This record gives sequence, structure tokens and C-alpha cells, in this order.
Amino acid sequence: MIEVKNLTKQYGTFTAIDHISFEAKPGEILGILGPNGAGKTTTMRILTGYMPPTSGQATIAGYDVVQDSFKARQHVGYMPERVPLYPDMTVQEYVAFWARLRGVSNVKKQVDAALERVQLKERRHSLVRNLSKGLKQRLGLAQALVHNPPVIILDEPTIGIDPKQVIEVRQSVRDLAHDHTVLFSTHILSEAEQVCDRVLIINQGRIVAQGKPEELRQQLHPMDDIYIHVSGAGKEKTERILKSIIGVDHIEARGAGYILYAKPGVDLRPHTLKTITQEGLNLLEMRPVAVTLEDIFLQIVEKEGEK
Amino acid sequence: MTGTLTIFRREMGQYFANPVSYFIAAAFLLVTGFFFIDDLTRSVTINAVNPAAVPEFLSFGMIFFAPVITMRMLAEEAREGTMELLLTAPVNDLAIVLGKFLSAWAYYSILLLITIAYQIIYIQNDSIQPDYGITVSAYIGIWLYGGACLAVGLAFSALTENQIVAGFLSMIFLLAMWLGDNIGNIAANIELANVIRQLTLQGHFSTSFAAGILRGEDVVYYVGIIGIALFIAIQLVESRRWR
Repeated sequence: MIEVKNLTKQYGTFTAIDHISFEAKPGEILGILGPNGAGKTTTMRILTGYMPPTSGQATIAGYDVVQDSFKARQHVGYMPERVPLYPDMTVQEYVAFWARLRGVSNVKKQVDAALERVQLKERRHSLVRNLSKGLKQRLGLAQALVHNPPVIILDEPTIGIDPKQVIEVRQSVRDLAHDHTVLFSTHILSEAEQVCDRVLIINQGRIVAQGKPEELRQQLHPMDDIYIHVSGAGKEKTERILKSIIGVDHIEARGAGYILYAKPGVDLRPHTLKTITQEGLNLLEMRPVAVTLEDIFLQIVEKEGEK
Repeated sequence: MTGTLTIFRREMGQYFANPVSYFIAAAFLLVTGFFFIDDLTRSVTINAVNPAAVPEFLSFGMIFFAPVITMRMLAEEAREGTMELLLTAPVNDLAIVLGKFLSAWAYYSILLLITIAYQIIYIQNDSIQPDYGITVSAYIGIWLYGGACLAVGLAFSALTENQIVAGFLSMIFLLAMWLGDNIGNIAANIELANVIRQLTLQGHFSTSFAAGILRGEDVVYYVGIIGIALFIAIQLVESRRWR
């Protein structure tokens, strides 16, 4: 549904995206993850036909975004990072305007369907300026799907809204996946984990990792670090004992206890337990350190930096 | 075409929904009304009525009204980010600019039509017998003249995201094009003076349309200004894609 090959965009001498390639299948939610300035928005702007790439190719539903720009634009719904609104229009007028502009034949029906979908139907006669931030975000979503495009591109749709609304927006995005391909950018990694089928991690304009969130987690973080909280000895003695455990690379004080970082491929748990009992310490708490995409991301980005 | 029409409809809706456009209309009618009354009172004692009084005032007034009408049109879209969405909709840049321009011109036309009420006062009054030929030609002229001013204003609105800057720059530009006529009048070299006059907004209005003379070259001049200004506006909108 979306196919990107060797896409490059340069602003003067600055390379915003550098030969990226990926594809998204029908019905898939593809997340683009990356820190601010990684090239997420640039990629999306090229896909939506807002600006041409410096080189490379991108197609939406089989239409090239440069050669067949008009066709491609008809097949994509886009919600930019800052939802663009006309404050003096009513909710209904606003959605109908975008429907007409995109050549929808049955405007009234499609507008009703879109408003129904984002649950804005009862606010249809409100002025856009009077909507809360979360509702504006939903209105942005309604605008992006009113012409029922096969591809929907959402640039950081959950930024700056309250947690309850974030959950609602995420749910709406998941619902869209039944009959749309969704490209979704975020810099909140846990969000990508919850929402996306597949994730691309980009940094400094290049794809540094891609795959299912759980695959990425396994692939990049096989180590089993643990958090441990013990009592029965002074600080120095405790630290000395913990460091002596077989397989411990280094330790780090965290809260009341410590995090034990394992050497690659070592399961720390049996040794830890044995050593602690031998030394006569009391074990108060021991649990694996949850590996989040956050950690994966930092790892990758750091690795990139070292290169 | 549908794109142009959709944009035109939205903009017209804005004029009717937005209080600012009513303020502009009120100011427009207040000032033209003042010039009409002034001309009418003078006609009692000093000279005959000037059927082109209102259009003649507008040939100066549009330097200020046109930028106020057009300054927000593209600048605001750029600032609010809606331009990004417009440029990703399946409409071309020409449709966007043309839709905006036509709506501004239509709004101005409505204001101009309301001032026809002044002419009705003439018709109602038997003691005043203005030359209706002049009235008609002056109105056609000022309609085109206004269109040219609005197109220039729109081009400046495409130039910047800041409405105030857009309005100010187009006022300066229009004022220069208007004052050019005076420079033409005082230039010692007659040929140079003629060339300057041919380039100015007033040079194609005050001695032809306002005097009841319809000349093809004047129509071509204003239509040409509209064409050039809109072309520049389209290029400026398109340039956003390359930034």
C-alpha cells in the first residue's frame, strides 16, 4: 500500500532523510519512531505530496507521489502534527470542506460517517474554535478519513492532549486499521508498542531498526538485568558482595536497591540467590528490569553515535 | 475547477461569518457615502454632480481597502498550517489562488453594488441630470481597478506568514503605483512622462474610465496586472513545496 525506495531529501546541504526504504501492507499500522528532527515529518510530507524528494521513489496505493501526484493525493488522508483548523467554521462545515476539496461524491453521507467514527456527531454545529484540544485532534482525524482513503498518515497524533484523550486517539487509530493502512509517527516508544503492528526506528534520517515491537525487543536486548533489594549489611559490604556475583558486569544504585547488569548471555538469577544466602543477607525484593522500547531505542541511538 | 469552487465557497462563507468583513464593509460604505454627500452638496451651489465621484475616490481608497481585504487570505493559511493540508489535497496551486482571488473580488463587487444606491438617489431627483454613460464606465473601470489591487494584495499575502507585513507591503506597493501618476505629471521629459503614466494604476483610470471613455488598452492593463500578480502568487505558493 505504501512503498518507499531509497528516499532522500536534502535541505541545502542538510540531509533530512538518507536513502530510506520500507513498505506497509494493507491493513497494517506502521509506526515511525524517532527523536525530534529524525526525519519523521519530512518522510510523511513527501508521502502526502506536500514536497518532492531529492531522489528516490515513493508510491501510495500504486501511484507515484511525484509522477502521479494527484492520484496519490486522492488516496491518502493526512493529519499534520499541529492540526490545521479553520476556527470560524463549524465542525460539519470543516469536514465537508475537505471532503469537497478531495472530490468526494456523496459529501453529506461521508461527513456523517467520519463524524460518527470520531464521535463528534453531537458537536457538529459547534464552532471549531470552541472545541477542546482533544476534540480538535479528533476533528483532525475526521478530516483525514472523510474521503475514505486507503492510506492514512498521522504525524504525532497524541501530542499535547490529556492521558484519557490519548487513549481514545490510540483506540481510534487501532480501529482504522481494519480497512486502512496507517502510518503513524511518534517519539513515545511505549505508544508505538501499544498501537503499531510494525515499527521503524529512524535516527538522523536513516532507518536503524525495523520489525515487530516484540521482535525488536528480543533482537536487541537479550540481556537479563535484574533489580535487587537486600538488607543485613552496610552499603559498602553490600556493594562488594553484589559485585562479586558471577556474571555481574557492573552495578548501579537505584532507589532502595541496585540494578545488576549482566554480562551478555548470562542468567544472573541462580548465582545471585546463592551468593546472597551464603553471605547471610536478607533478600527483600528481586525482579527483572523491564526492557522497554525506550531502552532499545537508546541503545540503538548510542550505537549509531559510536560509529 | 471543483477545487476553485470549493475554495471560493469557503472564503465567501468566511466573509459572511467573520465580523471583520462587516467592519470593512461599514468603513467602505461610510467613506464612499461621505464622498457622495460632499459631491451632492457642492452640486447645489458650485458645480454639477460628478457621476464618477465615488469611483474616483475609490481609485485612491482601494490602496487601503484592497490590502485589508486580502492580507489574511494566504498568510493566515500559512501561519495556521492549513496551507500544508491544502497542498496535500488533490487540487493544484492555481485553483487555490484563483478561488481566493475570485472570492475577494466577489466581496468587493458586493460592496461596489451597494454604492449603486447613491446613483439611485440621482435618478430619483429630477433636478440632477448626471451623464449615466460616465457612471457606467467609471463603475466598470473601478471594478477592474479594484480587481488589480486585490490581486496585488493577494500576491503579498502569499509572500509572508505575517498578515500585518503582507498588508503593509501591499499598501506601500499600491501607493507607489498610484503616486507614479503624479511623478509622470511633473516629469519634464514628455515621452518619459507618458511611459510612466502608462504604467500606473491611475493613468489608466482618471482620464479614461472616469471620463466616460472605454478603451481596450485600459482593460488590458488591469487584466494584465491581475494576471501577473496571480502568477506571482501561484509561484510563491508553489515555492513552499521547495523550502
